[in-house]
Amino acid sequence: MSQLTPDYLLIQIFNGLVNGGFYALLALGLSIIFGMLRIVNFAHGTMYMLGAFVAYYGAQEIHLPFFAALIVAPLVVGAFGLLLEVTLLRRLYGLDPLYNLLLTFALVLVIEDLMRLVAGALGSPYETPAMLAGATNLGFTEYPTYRLFVIVVSVIVCAAVYVIIERTQLGAKIRAATEKPDLTRAFGIDTSRLVSATFAFGVALAALGGVLAAPNTNVQPTMGDSVIINTFAIVVIGGMGSILGSIVAGFALGVIAAVGAVLFPPIANTLIFIVMVLVILFRPAGLFGKPERAA
Amino acid sequence: MIAGRRAALVGVALLAIGLVLPFVHGVYIVFAIDLVCFALAAVAFDLLLGFTGLLSFGHALFWGGAGYVSTILIAHGVTSFPLAVLAGVGYAFVLSVVVGAVAVRRSGIYFAMITLAIGEIQYFVAFQLIDLTGGENGLPEPTRGTLFGLSLENDHVYYYLVLAIAAAGTLLAVRAVTSPFGAVLAAMRENETRAKSIGYDTDRFKLAAFVMSGTLAGLAGALYAGANRLASLDAVDWHTSGAIVMMTILGGIGTIYGPIVGAAVFQSLDFFVSKTAIGDKTNIVMGLVFAIVILVARRGIVGELLHHLNARRPRFVEDEDDPDRLVADVAGETA
Amino acid sequence: MNTSRFCYAFAAAAALLAPLASPSGVAADNGPIKIAVITDMSGVYAAISGQGAVEATKMAVEDFGGKVLGRDIEVDGIDHRNKGDEAAAKAAEAYDSGAELALDLTNSATAVAVAGVAKQKHKLAIVTGGASSAITGESCNQFTYHYAYDTYALASSTGRNIARQPNGKTWYGIVPNYKFGQSMLADFTTAVEGEGGKFVHADMYPFPGTTDFSSYLLAAKEAKPQVLGVLNAGADTVNTMKQVKQFGLDKQMKIAVGLLFLSDVDALPDVFSGSRITTSWYWNEDKAARAWADRYTKRVGNGTRPTDIQAADYSATMQWLNAVKAVGSVDAEKVQKYLDGRQFNDFYAHAGEWRARDHRVTHEMYVVDVLDKSVIKEPHAWFKIVQVIPPSRAFRPESQSKCNKDW
Repeated sequence: MSQLTPDYLLIQIFNGLVNGGFYALLALGLSIIFGMLRIVNFAHGTMYMLGAFVAYYGAQEIHLPFFAALIVAPLVVGAFGLLLEVTLLRRLYGLDPLYNLLLTFALVLVIEDLMRLVAGALGSPYETPAMLAGATNLGFTEYPTYRLFVIVVSVIVCAAVYVIIERTQLGAKIRAATEKPDLTRAFGIDTSRLVSATFAFGVALAALGGVLAAPNTNVQPTMGDSVIINTFAIVVIGGMGSILGSIVAGFALGVIAAVGAVLFPPIANTLIFIVMVLVILFRPAGLFGKPERAA
Repeated sequence: MIAGRRAALVGVALLAIGLVLPFVHGVYIVFAIDLVCFALAAVAFDLLLGFTGLLSFGHALFWGGAGYVSTILIAHGVTSFPLAVLAGVGYAFVLSVVVGAVAVRRSGIYFAMITLAIGEIQYFVAFQLIDLTGGENGLPEPTRGTLFGLSLENDHVYYYLVLAIAAAGTLLAVRAVTSPFGAVLAAMRENETRAKSIGYDTDRFKLAAFVMSGTLAGLAGALYAGANRLASLDAVDWHTSGAIVMMTILGGIGTIYGPIVGAAVFQSLDFFVSKTAIGDKTNIVMGLVFAIVILVARRGIVGELLHHLNARRPRFVEDEDDPDRLVADVAGETA
Repeated sequence: MNTSRFCYAFAAAAALLAPLASPSGVAADNGPIKIAVITDMSGVYAAISGQGAVEATKMAVEDFGGKVLGRDIEVDGIDHRNKGDEAAAKAAEAYDSGAELALDLTNSATAVAVAGVAKQKHKLAIVTGGASSAITGESCNQFTYHYAYDTYALASSTGRNIARQPNGKTWYGIVPNYKFGQSMLADFTTAVEGEGGKFVHADMYPFPGTTDFSSYLLAAKEAKPQVLGVLNAGADTVNTMKQVKQFGLDKQMKIAVGLLFLSDVDALPDVFSGSRITTSWYWNEDKAARAWADRYTKRVGNGTRPTDIQAADYSATMQWLNAVKAVGSVDAEKVQKYLDGRQFNDFYAHAGEWRARDHRVTHEMYVVDVLDKSVIKEPHAWFKIVQVIPPSRAFRPESQSKCNKDW
């Protein structure tokens, strides 16, 4: 165990915030999709992976700069998600939501394998953008600038999504369509358009996470596999369908996991699941969820 | 759908196929053993999904966990096959009671998530207990042991033993769902609140179904480890849980015999496609097949078959006084 | 349905049928001799081995003449898809339908699984791809050989090479907490301490599931060791190295990577440049190696150069075929007795020996630096050999072998 100085722990907390940022973005997207469409999107990790690859191929083929990729990749993957929703997922809406879970599970197999055929199973190189390379002096340590950037972006995006959903008219419509779809339709609001747009948006958030991850992680077709299960756990902990829950749980668990990795290494990868089981036992709806309709 | 003579015929037909399977050209014996093991696991899974309405995404807990326990015992010198397998089954039983107690409080997506998460916990534990499980290398099984003195090393002998056990397990499952217990499960599936209001402790019934399902899956997993003489991390991986789900749905949930067909189709596709020229695209094929089934043939192979058969001719239901007799359903009330 | 009647019928049928069953397709004694190349054809190891391994094996068969003992030789490529149980089932099937040799077995879990099958079927298996030294340790058996490299050889060579130097004494380890990682750490520690160095610290990170190594790398930065030991594999190594570059650690200390192949560098040259690793063979190490590599590249056709695993497959096949010819039989036990203790030399294995004690095939190993793409002289010429390690120093000494030899 390394020297457990306060400085070191502070560094760990920052690292946790970086990871937490990813978790929050992914959990947010998953939660929005679940809250609105009652779909547990098993393919969420795959969308994250696609975001990273759009950034990679963008850079390869058209010299797409990183900052542009932050916008382009979510748009592209969002459009793809829209296509999936309209052509496939929509057919299963009237049924038990478990069917959509299974369909998205099947999509993971297909999309990941197709990606492997295109990109190979090994990693594809993606560099940290030059402007964000190097380290910044935070006082207690020199910390990679890129990681600070990730924290800033994820906090801003999460805050923006929260504000949009909780405080704007559009957000009110979304919330209404989530809680009482029939009533909302009776008011003349086109819920099916809203539903499709929401799915696309949730998926776009995952893709954004993928672009942010690309400089730091191995960009490979199975990179989504390692995040999806953790993301599920975080959404459950925060409360399925709760925006605030996903954000808070995401950042919190990122920090807990990072600190846990140095304090209790043997159980570090199971920490998230243990917390999840405890939450389900003692606060079944999640930390911020409404004790509502059991899914 | 399960009771009655027609269902019994299906069961016997499947058994007959099982008896001659090793002689079919192109079928390798170990593949056949693996297939039968998965068939039993799928049957066990259907008890939970088709008859209790609970989707578990963590059946690898029991399948893989029991496989490890029985292999660990054999690796440490236990030569009695029944003893090793029983230990594995015992582990699955205890685990399913513990996990079930936590999981059945929730339903639907939450239930699936809990089982998935606990499955992951077992996966990581198996990874870490290197001395016991061999870690990522897996744990080879030096021998299959003996059954009342008979050596089980011969693959064909082992196959017929596994077939017998799987048949018995399936019979048990059929008995369970056609018993009063199964009737309560059916009632719970239709309308849980009403079942509760009649006085049934639905959580208890769900737990019982979960334990039965988990234990049977554990039996299948212990036999599987013996088939390949290896307990490996793949068996406790959530992808295996996913495969079991796919097999069951492919065959038809709620039909008990359907999952057997589903397992056979799934395993055959997986095994044979991986040997063809498009072998490296096996996952795509499996994913596409599964997606198509979910989209247009949700009842699964056997389910769709039964549905079309029932649609064409007058429906028969069991005579209320004598369940072994079928009478024409003139009023057309049953679905 | 009457249960007891059903049981009797079943038991009778089974009793009648079981003895009649015979294994399908046993090869007649004048049918082809088959070699089963069991590897990962489409996943993360496909580039290291995969189809290239099958081609290399076929090359060996063709160079040998295509026939041995008057029988044709057939090479079958089998995809184990990185699953131990699938590897075991497919190996058993291959053996039962006439394969006399299972080769390659990239991925230690599949190697251990097939070693078990080989022992059970009394047929030979030669592992070139798998890394675990357990194959010649606690999982050793009469019918399995470990041909190319193992975790001990990697650790011993790289560790000693770096720790020998005055600026290579203090090490900081980034180690995944699973069997592979623990073996690597143990073996590297032995090697480093043998040269008067030491590990000041080793971070055992949770495996699988860690993609972010920043905490460990930052701690390494603070600790200021002379060497950073990146003792992981696969995607973990890529992630660690990416983050090493991000933190600028490669400018501060020497980077030793435990396990790396030529194809990994082909995929991600910038990530790995500047690190020091050990390999069992390099395509441009000498004239003979290059000559073979040129033939391989021409055959495979897309300009890639062979990895050491693919070369090992060719070499092992050639050795085995020669042994079969010399013994006059494919019987595994006879071939094994012939091979045990035999010394040999070819373009792949210099000073090679089929060690009888534990079936570890020993030969020279090479410590190399991974060059930056700006300085390489031709495509794929990534390595620069800095030291040749003799087999006696590279591999685990016989006296320390954990193999419980039962033959």
